[in-house]
Amino acid sequence: MDLNFTPEEQAFRQQIRSWVAGHLPKDISHKVHNALRLSKDDLQRWARILGRQGWHGWAWPKQFGGPGWNAVQRHLFEEECALAGAPRVVPFGPVMVAPVIMAFGTPEQQKRHLPGIMSGDVWWSQGYSEPGAGSDLASLKCRAERRGDYYLVNGQKTWTTLGQHGDWIFCLVRTSSDGKPQTGISFLLIDMKSPGITVRPIITMDGEHEVNEVWFDNVEVPADNLVGEENKGWTYAKYLLAHERTNIADVNRSKRELERLKRIAKAEKVWDDTRFRDEIAKLEVDIVALEMMVLRVLSGETSGKQSLDVAGLLKIRGSEIQQRLTELLMLAAGPYSVPFIHDAMEAGWQGDHVGAAYCAPLAATYFNVRKTTIYGGSNEVQRNIVAQTVLGS
Amino acid sequence: MDFDFSDDQEMLRDSVRKWVAKGYDAERRRRIVQAGGFSREAWGEIAGLGLAGLQVPEAHGGMGFGPVDAMVVMEELGRGLVLEPYVQGALIAPGVLAAAPEAVAAPWLQKIAGGTALVVLAHQERRARYRLDQVETRARANGTGWTLDGAKSLVPAGDRADAFIVPARVSGNADDPAGIALFLVERGANGVTTRGYGTADGARAAELALADAPATLLLPPGEGLAALERAVDTGIAALCAEAVGAMDQLVAVTVEYMNTRKQFGVAIASFQALRHRIADVKMQLELARSMSYFASLKMGEPAEARRRALAQAKYQLGVSMRFVGQQCIQLHGGIGVTDEYIAGHYFKRLTVMELSFGDTLHQLGEVSARMQDTAGVFS
Repeated sequence: MDLNFTPEEQAFRQQIRSWVAGHLPKDISHKVHNALRLSKDDLQRWARILGRQGWHGWAWPKQFGGPGWNAVQRHLFEEECALAGAPRVVPFGPVMVAPVIMAFGTPEQQKRHLPGIMSGDVWWSQGYSEPGAGSDLASLKCRAERRGDYYLVNGQKTWTTLGQHGDWIFCLVRTSSDGKPQTGISFLLIDMKSPGITVRPIITMDGEHEVNEVWFDNVEVPADNLVGEENKGWTYAKYLLAHERTNIADVNRSKRELERLKRIAKAEKVWDDTRFRDEIAKLEVDIVALEMMVLRVLSGETSGKQSLDVAGLLKIRGSEIQQRLTELLMLAAGPYSVPFIHDAMEAGWQGDHVGAAYCAPLAATYFNVRKTTIYGGSNEVQRNIVAQTVLGS
Repeated sequence: MDFDFSDDQEMLRDSVRKWVAKGYDAERRRRIVQAGGFSREAWGEIAGLGLAGLQVPEAHGGMGFGPVDAMVVMEELGRGLVLEPYVQGALIAPGVLAAAPEAVAAPWLQKIAGGTALVVLAHQERRARYRLDQVETRARANGTGWTLDGAKSLVPAGDRADAFIVPARVSGNADDPAGIALFLVERGANGVTTRGYGTADGARAAELALADAPATLLLPPGEGLAALERAVDTGIAALCAEAVGAMDQLVAVTVEYMNTRKQFGVAIASFQALRHRIADVKMQLELARSMSYFASLKMGEPAEARRRALAQAKYQLGVSMRFVGQQCIQLHGGIGVTDEYIAGHYFKRLTVMELSFGDTLHQLGEVSARMQDTAGVFS
């Protein structure tokens, strides 16, 4: 047992650190470090910078043009990016759909889609949730009927994150009503420029346009865009979920945000209030414990000796910590979290801030982050999964 | 970075687990509790497995093993609710003695490894709570040696131990961090009296009175407090591991109960309110296990980083122990509060561990006072 990274791993970290320092645009990291609004251009610029290095798909194996890193190297890469203030890579392409295309797609699909995902040029969205299918995802109704060499898609997807920028969307669609709900689902890749697709914004309580409804009205999708076999989509979706293990805890970003919390608490003088500081201390222990849990999973994956089935725990804990961070950030600013000036969350805004400039986005971020315990399988669904593992039934 | 146990560590775990399963079942434990909470015979069996000398240097007849090996042993002793003060006798005492001058320490290290001497830390004072620099016991040089005057409290198996490691003040006021030295005092010496009693978890402790008691200097002022802090951190790391073992077993017992106990015609494990509770229990258990690893793996760090890490670990363990203990009793319903059923005994042991070497609020204060700009496992 050894807590330290090997000299090779530490050298790898250094290499990543200096690369990120040299390539991450300062205007972008400034926004990330101050929780200011990120534009499509910010996100895509960073994606393309990574893409040119072959790192936008940093978890990809070499055969598909990825760096072929192991679990520890991937973790170190993610950590260095997060601590440096890189924006979160929009996961739908490189993290979510790409592994499914690699595992179950045809060589033609791989050739067609993977390069655009890696380069950051093609923006992917996720079409899973529907108005009637949230936690009970398998009850989804969006229909795809086979009509010769195409599928005719009708229905609605929702909570489509950043779908307003999407070039392509991967969807779970219903291709059969026979048997259990899970058995009639297929995995379809859809060009969002297809006639019949409408994207409508959903404004969330932070006032931002982050998620969308996507409507499909007699959309014709070439049958070649089916991934794997018809009616096996549920299996592929589960494969996708299994691919996202330690990532989901987002502990690296939480470490960065804890540093910001300490800076703001000091500036607002609540650092000297033991009642407040103790709350930060509790969160610090929570973050260290979560990081240890993540490292245990990484170690188990690397050595293959211990399998640690704690993905649900990582999701629950990671999301609770993210929420608590935004809560304490808001509380640190206290009354100066109250002014809500939409433009003040824009970098370089020259207007009059009511409190310190760092106060401007704190309430909005707190509002926004309520989503983390809801998305990706709500924390209550995660508890069901954990309980099943613990109880054996 | 590697969290796998070596083959030797797995063998060590097996041997302790086997002894606990065969040699320390609930019936024997109950008899030991009734007989006062400590069994010299059981201590002899632990020593017979070579465990008393686990961390005694090889040159002194021990195995010279490290913190991770201690963690493995503690998890298994925790699983079996073993009452004998292994943390004190086999981990803390050899650690302090190994730092003391060879001539003084060697004979005691030999006897500890052989199981013929039980040496425990007697640091608690009535007015100190969890502060280690609060020492009223006084040490006086008397020409050839030292004598001590004062009182120590809550000394594990204090009226059965053979000798004590005692922090005492050579100079300064009661809360002066300077002037604290560590001494060895034999229980049979003149001026030493003990008053033993049972503790809330069924184990044993004693009040120790020292009146002009002859003592041997182990570590002089200037080294004493640092050594005491290190001794307590050794204790914290060990308790963390013991707690993980105890919680692991308590959760296993609770899961089995949930799957067999029927109400409303079905196993209570089928109720979602209880399923979510056991998921929360599992969360606290895994956070605790993670921080127990963290504690043991940080024992080799410089004092400041070690102190911070151990405070973080004990805080997490405190939170986890209280939650897991309380919820596992609740999940059992009425049977959980009986003396006959095992769950309550785990609950009591977890409670006492939370109160040992700094409780959760105390550790929170330590973490809070020691926070840096950055945080995380490697900061």
